Amino acid sequence: MGAFLPLYAPLTPEEVRQIDHTSRQVLERVGVTVYESSCLETLDAAGACVDYQTQRVRFDGDWLNAALGSAPSQFVLYSRDGQNDIHLGDGKVYFTNGGRVFRIQDSQGRGYRYTMLRHVARTAALVNQLQHINFYIVACQAHALKPETYHLNDFYQAFKHTTKHVMGGCDDLDGVKQVWELASFIAGSEDNLREKPFVSVITNPVSPLTIEAKTLRVLRFCCTHGIPVTCAPAPIAGATAPATLGGTLVQMHAEALAGVAIAQALAPGAKVLYGAVPATMDLRNMEFCLGSVEAAMMNAAAVQLAKLYNLPIYASAGVTEAKKSDIQAGCEKTLSNLLVAMAGADCIHLSAGILDSGNTISYAQYVIDNEIIGMVQRVLSGIKVDQDTLALGAIQEAGPGGNYVVQDHTVKHMLDEFFYPALCVRSNFDIWEAQGCPDMFTRASDVARQAVEGSSNPILDAALVHRIKTVFPGIEDV
Amino acid sequence: MRDFHLLAQAVMNGDIKAAVAQTQAALDAGADVQELIDRGLIAAMDEVGEKFSKGLLFVPQMLRAAKTMQECMKLLQPLIKEGEVTSKGKVLIGTVKGDLHDIGKNLVSMMLEGAGFAITDLGVDVHPDKFVQKTQEIEPDIVAMSALLSTTMPAMPATIEALTRAGLRDRVKVMIGGAPVTMKYAQEINADSYAPDAGSAVTEAKKLLGID
Repeated sequence: MGAFLPLYAPLTPEEVRQIDHTSRQVLERVGVTVYESSCLETLDAAGACVDYQTQRVRFDGDWLNAALGSAPSQFVLYSRDGQNDIHLGDGKVYFTNGGRVFRIQDSQGRGYRYTMLRHVARTAALVNQLQHINFYIVACQAHALKPETYHLNDFYQAFKHTTKHVMGGCDDLDGVKQVWELASFIAGSEDNLREKPFVSVITNPVSPLTIEAKTLRVLRFCCTHGIPVTCAPAPIAGATAPATLGGTLVQMHAEALAGVAIAQALAPGAKVLYGAVPATMDLRNMEFCLGSVEAAMMNAAAVQLAKLYNLPIYASAGVTEAKKSDIQAGCEKTLSNLLVAMAGADCIHLSAGILDSGNTISYAQYVIDNEIIGMVQRVLSGIKVDQDTLALGAIQEAGPGGNYVVQDHTVKHMLDEFFYPALCVRSNFDIWEAQGCPDMFTRASDVARQAVEGSSNPILDAALVHRIKTVFPGIEDV
Repeated sequence: MRDFHLLAQAVMNGDIKAAVAQTQAALDAGADVQELIDRGLIAAMDEVGEKFSKGLLFVPQMLRAAKTMQECMKLLQPLIKEGEVTSKGKVLIGTVKGDLHDIGKNLVSMMLEGAGFAITDLGVDVHPDKFVQKTQEIEPDIVAMSALLSTTMPAMPATIEALTRAGLRDRVKVMIGGAPVTMKYAQEINADSYAPDAGSAVTEAKKLLGID
């Protein structure tokens, strides 16, 4: 069972070709500024057109094709227990949360506070328990954590609280080294980690058309150490990219292809995801919009552009500008999650837990988004049509005026045909009133509280934790 | 009374070419410079400001109009006695050491520039010493910094400290911003001002320099 993807393609094949063609012109004529001399040398040696004076790299068509040609179209983001491996490029859509948020809404949905290391731990524990969130992105910043051991600690809490694949941003080379050393230790060896990487890294170019030195050093480290990575552009239509969706897609596609091509020049065959985080600017007042309808459309279009090169895509959806879990949040999240999933994105990040344009998380929102994603996955699994589901026998058996409630056919299919929401209110009015008038938010808050409090089952065993702390004395407890 | 309607219209439309031509034509016809500024350019910008505040104009239109006015002012500058008309103030801006997140900073630059400030943008990942060195060099009225990460926010007080050590702190106003930054934080680190977004950055900058 499963609907044939894409179910939504905002661009015609000809439009996809036009955008791609224009992006390639951008890469050939304008190029990308690369602020790192050793990377420039690598690209120069690999045959790209490098201007050291301006630190500008231009890519001619043949060079680009050759570089993109070594990028894998399929690879796996491993979980540590094998239960939630992410098979990128297998035609499935995987969902994950988003990261580097700085603020959390309290459980009553009223106050907001800075996120700390304990919130990394708790969101990891929460995602570990939420069925439809397939892997974990280090969800928030840990205020009060020292910069020197920052990524050792935020990734450690992630590994400690979920067996699902962990992805996250790294600020600098030192940070990504810490993550790699810790993950290698948990894996048992560097080779084990390289064989089954259960951690991956997010980097971002700066739109328009710029990649900073720190970003490139992180990218190079990942590519040469077998850590899957994306270099995901986040152009903003009307501010850091053209005001037209087509123009923003041209620039974003150029930036994304440059990221993949540079990764391949640094280490041919490197596991790299085509990245896409296109957004828009509300030009009435210059308000940044990750949750606009156009952002959703562009993310869906980005899937088409990535698939032109058979590259797995790290796309984005499920974001909202709403400051709390309200009707706007529900509308914007559902719309974009659905459109980008129907476009057939390999993995969709930002899809859970986030409010306020990516600035705030809420435990309850993770639970609500898990349910939205469950419904979206139900859409993707389609309507199964075969002899059995067409149910001629059952219809004959019931006959005119009969019913189906106790039929074998019903009992046989009641568990595999329907998505059963945990939060949506479906009871009749009187019962709902007797239950104290619950709604999605109150229910989600209850589930979240239990999940966060009840996640005491250790994921890393005590002996391993002890060894980790001996080898990595910089680790802090939450 | 001379009619500056067409000039005002061109400024409001952000039509640089037409506005500059109108300005030149008015000068050629012997218009009084102060009158041209007051009844042509400033009157136009007042109306732009009013329409913007009512939501009838969008930010790009407002910025275009401001840029158009600046282009007209370039023609008038040589005719004005020194000191009468100057830029609103000089702003030195950058994201702090370690921080590469520059979207907000870029928006603030655009808005300040549109409002008539002279901007020197140091870009991203700016070391405190670099802020100090440039402050010595260009003597800005305002040093503006942004940070998005908990790990880079401490670079703000470090930069303020560096300005103090160099004896520059009381010669500049320090303005900070960035998603996690708050007014409380600004007070804690002894910054002069904080703005939650690009629009309010303009208001705050004007307030700091005592411009209405």
